[in-house]
Amino acid sequence: MAEVEETLKRIQSQKGVQGIIVVNSEGIPIKTTLDNSSTVQYAGLIHQLVLKARSTIRDIDPQNDLLFLRVRSKKNEIMIAPDKDYFLIVIQNPSA
Amino acid sequence: MSSSGSVGPKVTQRLKHKLGFKSYEKPKDSTAREQQRKAAQVLDAEGRDVTPRPLCPTFLGVLPLDEIFSSKGSDRSKPTSSFADLLTSSSFLESTSQSSLSPKDSWTKETIDSLTLQDVNPNLPAPYKVPVKINRVEEDLTEDMLDEVVQKVITDRDTLTLLDLSLTHGVSEEAEDSNAVQERNVLYAELCRNRTNNDKYVDGATQTLNGMPKVKKIQTNKNIVVDEGATATNWDLHDSYCEQKKTPEAHEADIQDLTASTGKGQDRTAESISGDTGSTVSSLLEKCEDSFKARPDLEDVLMSDSFKSSLLVMERAVATNVLLAELAAYKNLPVLEDPDRTAEPGFGEQSDEDEEHLSTPTMKHLWVFVCDLTKGYKATSMAWSKKNSNILAVGYIAHDSKNPNPGLICCWSLKNPKWPERVYSCHSDVMSLDFSANNPSQLAVGMKDGSISIYSVNTEGETAFIASSREGSRKHLHPVMQVTWTKHQLKLSEKERQDVLVSVSIDGRITKWFLGGSGLDCIDLMKLKKIYDAKKKAAGGKKVEGNVLVPAIPALCFDFHPTEYGIYLVGTYDGLIHECSVSNNEQFLNTYKHHIGPVNHVEWSPFSPDVFLSCSSDWSMHLWQRGVSAPTMSFRSAYSEVHIAQWSSNSPALFAAIYKQWVEVWDLNSNIMFPTIVHHAAADVELTSLLFARDSDSVLVGDTEGQVTVYKLPNLRVGRTKKVESLDDIIQSVSSHRW
Repeated sequence: MAEVEETLKRIQSQKGVQGIIVVNSEGIPIKTTLDNSSTVQYAGLIHQLVLKARSTIRDIDPQNDLLFLRVRSKKNEIMIAPDKDYFLIVIQNPSA
Repeated sequence: MSSSGSVGPKVTQRLKHKLGFKSYEKPKDSTAREQQRKAAQVLDAEGRDVTPRPLCPTFLGVLPLDEIFSSKGSDRSKPTSSFADLLTSSSFLESTSQSSLSPKDSWTKETIDSLTLQDVNPNLPAPYKVPVKINRVEEDLTEDMLDEVVQKVITDRDTLTLLDLSLTHGVSEEAEDSNAVQERNVLYAELCRNRTNNDKYVDGATQTLNGMPKVKKIQTNKNIVVDEGATATNWDLHDSYCEQKKTPEAHEADIQDLTASTGKGQDRTAESISGDTGSTVSSLLEKCEDSFKARPDLEDVLMSDSFKSSLLVMERAVATNVLLAELAAYKNLPVLEDPDRTAEPGFGEQSDEDEEHLSTPTMKHLWVFVCDLTKGYKATSMAWSKKNSNILAVGYIAHDSKNPNPGLICCWSLKNPKWPERVYSCHSDVMSLDFSANNPSQLAVGMKDGSISIYSVNTEGETAFIASSREGSRKHLHPVMQVTWTKHQLKLSEKERQDVLVSVSIDGRITKWFLGGSGLDCIDLMKLKKIYDAKKKAAGGKKVEGNVLVPAIPALCFDFHPTEYGIYLVGTYDGLIHECSVSNNEQFLNTYKHHIGPVNHVEWSPFSPDVFLSCSSDWSMHLWQRGVSAPTMSFRSAYSEVHIAQWSSNSPALFAAIYKQWVEVWDLNSNIMFPTIVHHAAADVELTSLLFARDSDSVLVGDTEGQVTVYKLPNLRVGRTKKVESLDDIIQSVSSHRW
């Protein structure tokens, strides 16, 4: 447990990391470093995106599965590690 | 009601229909009627008056209804009111019969007033005005008028024939049996005509009984309707199928459109796919345990293994994001310009500048492998993983002798320079590391107390420790200076060659290790003994073998030949380099003597066979050819001990050397007298280890701060001739030049 906390702290301390959100399988954020409204917004929107992405990958080949999703935008990058029980979302702006 | 036009061509029948309200007649009415009747009389054979009574006399001109009604307020009487009702409700048809015109003459506007309207059908020529206002009645009502009985008769209007298809009777004249049909029609018309006065036909009437309708009410429960939606996707079907395949006997399930793979014909109840509660997974099968599965909560999620691996990947992703440009430079990939990123002075500009300058190329600092764990240590040795070129193992020695973990091993990944992938602590200072090629996860460590350990880097923590020679009886008693895995020469084919761990130690033994019953056991390959008579013997010298117990000479380094297995060089404390063979543990094959001080490092050239480089604490480095007793080239540039000199694995004529305070990179293509690049370390920091990157033009330098810095070498051949001179040519030229 402490290891996990430490790792999260390390990620948070990397350059440009704006926030980390852990969302459970229903889209409810269970751990976050952002403020409440942003968290809820990110959680809801990204939940849908990941479901869609996963559905896409698996529709093409049912034996395939989504491992990691990165969305690069003008201002930052959202990295999502999806799993059966949770999503791990990290928002980073590497040039900041 | 009306027998309107079906038979009989072109004869519109008059309506003889009267809706009359006949009440008793007053005498004056009858006289009027008789007057009317006498106008046209038809007498039958017996003189009876059978004058057809006129149906509805037509009035000339427009006759507004209100004028009819205005006759002395007669419309005010009771029947009038009902008549008014009938007016509004019923439709008036105009009779267009010609014959009704005959009594027309007798009808004038004046007669209207006097006549009772018994036989009169107030006839309205089209169009008629609906009486909107009945306000013409202004005359005072008298009692007499009220008592008058006014009769109004209402009849239907005649049928207007708009289209008469009676001729054809639905059969075209061009049809085959139209003639027959027409004949039958004619016959039927005859029949109908004869029917009217014929005794054969009698009209009869019947009455049907209509059952009394009865209303019965009934009440039921409301059907509860629930809307359910589901999405069936390709992968969902696949998942369901796989789940079902796994547990065929466990549950009873109904399969609707999945083919029953079991073929046993069992009835199956529905099963569901568990887990994805919030998603739009459609469930073809329903498992019974679904209800028992609790939702994973925060703790479960955070402790699960998959979360840890996700964290790992995420950490790497974040770190590589930060170091994107540097990593690209390391891998020699072009750095793509991000148009939306705020402009940073990137590497591109610097390299351009360097290319222009050409005079003093420098190494570019890329990044540093450092973390909190390595503070207070100094990096002593580094090794790349043989299988995965992203993995780097670094051995550390603690500065502080009271540190409970005097030795530390960190396995770093290129993708995450902020935190090592694996951390192992050792009981003693780590002097040397090497990865095995055959078992890529095995890492051999040689330590200061003379013990050798093997770790498996697949796992973390204590389970990684495989074996150690601590308890061995014949272990080294002195610090192990170097360990290496090398291929044994006795095997026949390339694939079968197993790695053998060989170590060299200050006690002068070169030993081969293998995994014995309890830990590592060893066999001595060679024992270095002092050569007393070296000066007296020939330079290519044989050793002196004596029965005298001679002290062993510390061996500081060794290196196996890259292609000839079993041939190795040993550098010793007294400046000799011995060439030995695995098969001969008594004699040296050759001895190279030129160094004055201890030889710190020897290394065969990976490109040119039989050329090796040696460096020593006598401030010099020598390039030797095998078999030649004197060094071919010497390099002396600074007044400091050379700790390590290593060949580059990419360029044949490139090597680097570590002094205490700086790194030198020699490019023999350009300059054999002076180093091409000199890089100084920061003040107070001593450089302790060096490693070339295998797939990149980079150099890793370890220092006493516990940092391992990655530098990128510039492209040294820019601006010069593109032809790469091999080391042999250089040597040739040097040799020929010399003599």
